[in-house]
Amino acid sequence: MRDLAHRLLAYEVSAGKTAEPTASATLRVYEKLRQSLSGVAGVAAFESLAFRALTQAKSEAPSLWPVQIAGDGSLQGLGELKPQIDMDKDLADKFPCGDGGIVLIARLLGLLLMFLGEAITLRLLRNAWPREAFDDRNSEHGRKA
Amino acid sequence: MSTQDKVKINKLPTGVPGLDEIVGGGLPEFSFNIIAGAPGSGKTTLAHQFVFANASPERPALYFTVLGESAIKMLRYQQQYSFFDPAKLPESIRFINLSQVVLTKDLGAVLEEITKEVEKANPAVVVVDSFRTMVRKPESDMDLQSFIQRLALFLASWQATTFLIGEYAEDELRDNPIFTVADGLLWLRQTAERNSIVRKLQVIKLRGQDSVPGLHTFRITDAGVQAFSRTFGLTARKRNPPSDRRLCFGIPELDKMLDGGVREGDSVLVAGSSGTGKSVLATQFIAEGISHGEPGIVAVFEERPEAYAERATSLGLDLETPQKDGKLTILYLRPLDLSVDETMQSILDAVQKIGAKRLVIDSLAGFEMALSPGFRADFRESLYRMIFALTGIGVTILSTVEVDESFTEFPFSTYSISFLTDDIIRLRYVSIDGQLRKIMVVIKMRGGNHAKDIREYEITSKGVVILGKRLTNFQGLISGVPVHSDRSDLKEEPAQESRIGSKG
Repeated sequence: MRDLAHRLLAYEVSAGKTAEPTASATLRVYEKLRQSLSGVAGVAAFESLAFRALTQAKSEAPSLWPVQIAGDGSLQGLGELKPQIDMDKDLADKFPCGDGGIVLIARLLGLLLMFLGEAITLRLLRNAWPREAFDDRNSEHGRKA
Repeated sequence: MSTQDKVKINKLPTGVPGLDEIVGGGLPEFSFNIIAGAPGSGKTTLAHQFVFANASPERPALYFTVLGESAIKMLRYQQQYSFFDPAKLPESIRFINLSQVVLTKDLGAVLEEITKEVEKANPAVVVVDSFRTMVRKPESDMDLQSFIQRLALFLASWQATTFLIGEYAEDELRDNPIFTVADGLLWLRQTAERNSIVRKLQVIKLRGQDSVPGLHTFRITDAGVQAFSRTFGLTARKRNPPSDRRLCFGIPELDKMLDGGVREGDSVLVAGSSGTGKSVLATQFIAEGISHGEPGIVAVFEERPEAYAERATSLGLDLETPQKDGKLTILYLRPLDLSVDETMQSILDAVQKIGAKRLVIDSLAGFEMALSPGFRADFRESLYRMIFALTGIGVTILSTVEVDESFTEFPFSTYSISFLTDDIIRLRYVSIDGQLRKIMVVIKMRGGNHAKDIREYEITSKGVVILGKRLTNFQGLISGVPVHSDRSDLKEEPAQESRIGSKG
């Protein structure tokens, strides 16, 4: 999940072609996931999963403590994130605010996979990133989702 | 008003195998329907099947959930069914949770929210699951009725086919004003009978549709809900006119006794005790049909198809080749908890698949035992419906039934199913000259002549072989313990064949 989260964040950074801070890329990934799942299962469904994902992520990345989930499922407080010591060195230049965002997105993707299964999760991802190739796990030569 | 002037109501597929037949060919487009039943009766699954069968990106389906199952849980569980197609998400199917609106606002706000989403998506299908949970106060029944009335009016004008799903107990069916608003009311029920669960559905009302009345068995499997019409989907088919064509057994003496064979489209009962050759006779009947290009079905319950075919081989009858050629299907039906209608649907599917002209049910006792206890009460009625339906389209049915051998009575069947049959052939043991021998007699042939002879027969490597002439030097043959008559000078007389006939 972390690899996939990393990939989505990297995609958003390169799509933006700017040296935007992590929070911005994380927010864009999060927002796309929110729009995608809310479109299928409603805002309440997304909000409940996002709340759980954030709770899990906070235990792994304390930098996320100020972050909150609003009633409509949107993320609040992410812009206040500070760089973390355990930050991925490869991402340091691109994501100066650390890996809290990666942890959160990875947790959210993990919950989607657990509750909805691979087929629906891939469907949501393809819907959110129509230009990206997401291969299913059974694809021998494809990249793993 | 001429047919041309009438508005054409499109019928939408329900996505539930067997249900289209029950509702009269599909659900009317733009109809406002209620699916009612107790929790766990399959309401949500049925609604999902309809949604997946009809939603498209151009005309999607909106599935509103209220205080029951959350959308996440619904997606999690419903995707286990084979009809669930994730490719339909989210363009064709969207789930919208209304719980916040219901909890914090009134029904007016709920209607407003539904209206907003419907106007945005222009859906072909709208489901509200479960609409009953919207009412949290007892005094709000009137509000709910008003809400449903306004919702029905709104959705009809938006050309959406709608389903409201509600938990209702059996006794709430009567005098409920909410049901008067609906165009269609489907009632699902499940009851525990001994160790089995019996599921039935009923179309209480369906405006403008020629639905099949009564209770229909349904089952929930990996494929979702599957319904079994009481009429087995054959209501639309015209009954064939009575045929004069005769179907032979390939046993010359028996065919003579039957005035040339069994009449096409008849239901024949072969009754006898264990070992009298009922299955052998049935096998010969099927094999003879195949040799004349008439495909056949054998439904067996007491032995496996391989064993059945092997036994036929020992009689010089090849059942392997016609199976490979698609001229014969041997169905082995012995799962647990099977409903009678489901079993019969399997037989009907097989009959229709190969265009069978002859059907053997071997045996009725085995058939009944294969059913779950809760369905055995329906056995005779369902059997009657199936026989009526199949013989009506020209299939000739031979059923075997085991009867207790009595030396004081001559029963045809322990099932009191003689009324189901046009023709009865009775096999039995008799004690003659210190030997246990076998006799055969044609008891009845509806609408045809038949011999009244009592004939002795044997089971040989060629199957059932009728011996010599009719037995005339015994009295009381059918008692099983005959006595020699005084006519010792005349041991046998020529068989009468069918010249002494009886009608009916």
